[in-house]
Amino acid sequence: MTEEKQLDQNKRENRISILSRSLITGFIGGLIWSLFGVIMYYFNFSEVAPKSFLLRSWLTAEWTSGWLGDLVSIVFAGVLSLIAALIYYGLLKKVNSMWMGLVFGVILWGIIFYLLQPIFSNIPALVELNKNTIVSTICLFILYGTFVGYSISYDYHDAKLNKQKG
Amino acid sequence: MKQKDNKSLISPEIKNNEAYMKERLGVGVSFDLGFRDLTILKKKVQIYYLTGLCDSLIIQDLLEMLIKINDDESNSRKLHEIIENRLIHQQVTTIETMDEAVDQMLSGLIVVFINGEKNAFVIDVRSYPGRTPDEPDTERVVRGSRDGYTENIIENTALTRRRIRDARLRNEMLKVGERSKSDICVSYLQDIADDGLVNLIKEKIEAIEIDGISMADKTVEEFIIESKWNPYPLVRYTERPDVAASHLLEGHVIIIVDTSPSAIILPTTFFHHLQHAEEYRQAPTIGTFVRWIRFMAVFASMYLLPLWLLFVLDPTLLPKELSYIGPNEEGNISITIQIIMASLGIEFLRMAAIHTPTPLSTAMGLIAAVLIGQIAIDVGMFSPEVILYVSVSAIGAYVTPSYELSVANKLINLLLVILTGIFGLTGFIIGIVLHILYLVNLRSLRTPYLWPFLPFNPKAMLHIIFRIPVPYANSRPSIVHPKNNYRQPTHESKLT
Repeated sequence: MTEEKQLDQNKRENRISILSRSLITGFIGGLIWSLFGVIMYYFNFSEVAPKSFLLRSWLTAEWTSGWLGDLVSIVFAGVLSLIAALIYYGLLKKVNSMWMGLVFGVILWGIIFYLLQPIFSNIPALVELNKNTIVSTICLFILYGTFVGYSISYDYHDAKLNKQKG
Repeated sequence: MKQKDNKSLISPEIKNNEAYMKERLGVGVSFDLGFRDLTILKKKVQIYYLTGLCDSLIIQDLLEMLIKINDDESNSRKLHEIIENRLIHQQVTTIETMDEAVDQMLSGLIVVFINGEKNAFVIDVRSYPGRTPDEPDTERVVRGSRDGYTENIIENTALTRRRIRDARLRNEMLKVGERSKSDICVSYLQDIADDGLVNLIKEKIEAIEIDGISMADKTVEEFIIESKWNPYPLVRYTERPDVAASHLLEGHVIIIVDTSPSAIILPTTFFHHLQHAEEYRQAPTIGTFVRWIRFMAVFASMYLLPLWLLFVLDPTLLPKELSYIGPNEEGNISITIQIIMASLGIEFLRMAAIHTPTPLSTAMGLIAAVLIGQIAIDVGMFSPEVILYVSVSAIGAYVTPSYELSVANKLINLLLVILTGIFGLTGFIIGIVLHILYLVNLRSLRTPYLWPFLPFNPKAMLHIIFRIPVPYANSRPSIVHPKNNYRQPTHESKLT
């Protein structure tokens, strides 16, 4: 149980797992913040729920409007969030600032609510959404972006710092 | 402010030393400075001490031994060696400058000058007035050790040392304060704590230039942390040696300041302030349960009032099943103002409770209960629901283990109520997001404040959400950057 050996173990662990840790962060981030999305929809903070994007635009089955629809859409959001995490990992992980994550969230919001809006048949156009919905969803995406972005870049820089120390 | 003459040496002529002591310290003016002139083997010997901080029995013993030299010895040339032999105490050192002599004497040591010698003896006979360790009021547990830190730094380090008898535990003593010369002890485990962190803390403490730190740990904290105006506590205080010891083992650094019973734990995150020794004294499942309930309470103390206010202001937000939420009768004053007034009222009570003398506290409780609980409703000032929600929020604040955190949350709670009252839903949402972003942006000695939630660390988060049984909690938290990651032998190393 020498110290040298233990430090070696750490290093190996770090090298393989920054990417996988980023993916875990993405997945959990998707789950947490889409759960908040569901709660916001429940309390009428927002007219749109994760399920209106992920399920109701394609399916009209009975179960999608109930709690099962929420549950499935949360898991689905977690999976989709892996892609967002991958993009951040690929492009922006070297920016060591939480504000980049925030901007990432806002950009993501713009893409989903403006650029991709025509795809979702169940989502009204941006101009037709009320003020509460817009504010709530932007805030939700800001928190989501900060969560994913800041976690990934912090993890990356922390691992780099550890490696420098040896 | 720095003294320039601290290099003045001890003079062989004892009269010079006496004059120096009289001029600089005011021996003979200040009543607490004791002084005894002896003649031993025809040489003058002088003893200086501080009456309040030495044990007088030991001084008597020493004097007796010194005077006996006159009967037993005759070689006055060897007086220095003879006296050194006859100072019957385990801590005797030799010093050469007057400045040291003054410093040592003022911290309670005896200084012995001998005519014709260029150095003096100091004998450590300090016994500081103080209390014995007892259970700290702020961190009680049902089971577990009941000793707590006291105002005495030596006892405090000893209490920690009793729990970690490790050769690698370092207790480094630093002095701060040009006038107060207070002792500060930096404790860490040498092979675990991050060198960068230890050096950073020591640099920051050494950089302090102030006349005195009578508010001890709090003053030191304000010098160490970066964001000095922020309401959130960036260091954790503990009065329990077991809590301090377990943090040392995790790789944290502990700062103990003389005259304060609270030790500072660094670095600290938001979630450290939500932990309590009690959950580690219970079964892990119960500990987890206790912790979740506490999270709910702390959450309520921050966000319950603004959320309820939001639903009162805009009942259309409520889903059908919950439409009963909200006051039955509106009353004369708007709910926002009612909440603010009731919250301020509770703050009045809290502050009054801190310094009300015990005989008056019953009267105070009675007034509070009758006034706020009953009359205010009867008169139509508050609606009963306001009292209910404000009370739940207040109890939530009392559940917060860290007093500092509960007060900071209270402030945020009040700000959110005002924002919600003015801007409705927009104010509420933006307020909460700004609050979270503010916490994310806070750093305590380079450590993100909301870690491990944001930046997210799955393993550490698991340890926050669940109270993991100790045998399964093997690795140290990565946030302290430990040099040695494992607390128990891992399986691989067990095999080798």
